[in-house]
Amino acid sequence: MIKVRIPTPLRPLTKGQGEVEAQAGSIASMIETLDQAHPGLKDRLCDETGELRRFVNIYVNEEDIRFLKGKETSLNDGDEVSIVPAIAGG
Amino acid sequence: MADLVIPQPILDELVAHARALDPYECCGFLAGTGQTVSRVYRIKNIVSLEGAADAAAFDEAKVQHLSRLTPDERAEIAFIMDAQEMFHAVKDMRKNGLTLQVVYHSHPHDPARPSVTDIKIADDWEENWARLNLTLPIYLLISLKDKTCPDIRAYWIKKGAVTPARIGPA
Repeated sequence: MIKVRIPTPLRPLTKGQGEVEAQAGSIASMIETLDQAHPGLKDRLCDETGELRRFVNIYVNEEDIRFLKGKETSLNDGDEVSIVPAIAGG
Repeated sequence: MADLVIPQPILDELVAHARALDPYECCGFLAGTGQTVSRVYRIKNIVSLEGAADAAAFDEAKVQHLSRLTPDERAEIAFIMDAQEMFHAVKDMRKNGLTLQVVYHSHPHDPARPSVTDIKIADDWEENWARLNLTLPIYLLISLKDKTCPDIRAYWIKKGAVTPARIGPA
């Protein structure tokens, strides 16, 4: 099982949960699985071509998936995935 | 003793970046070794991108304010760093053995003090820096409120508390 940290702006889609679990072998399949359980999540993470949106970071354990294999990054049981909005301010 | 030494050419480059984007906010990173900054990474402000403001961890007042503005106007009062460019910057830092030391942005119309939004998002990010094995950065602001005399100030933002960081030119 993969533990996924959900940031505040996306919690309305997860009924307020800050952490959810998913059974997935890759980031791509994790996004599909999460979208089935929490419809609309995929659209917030990926653009119409399926690419990760430029204002979203996904980290597997301590590493940005952009340093790994992007959405094809494989996941193993016990991995922790963090979805983190880009740095911002006003 | 300064928390961070920022050579004058780097300070000049920060002002140049802020002025180049005025009236919109600029943003980026400073990196270096030890206590000395050696490199500026300009990062694109993508707050005008469709959906970006909804995805950011802005406070409710900011969300309301942004919703009343056109996409271009949003960049006058907010920034969101392009995560793709952040990745390229961090990759370059790793390649060159540099440490990310500063997150900077400009306030085209306001003083060089962190806004409520700045503090809220710095607070959200505090646990991320540790999780990503990065040290907590100093937050630096460039104010263009007085166009002829830009003001640069730096702060630590820890557990929601803001304290001035001591920066000095080389």
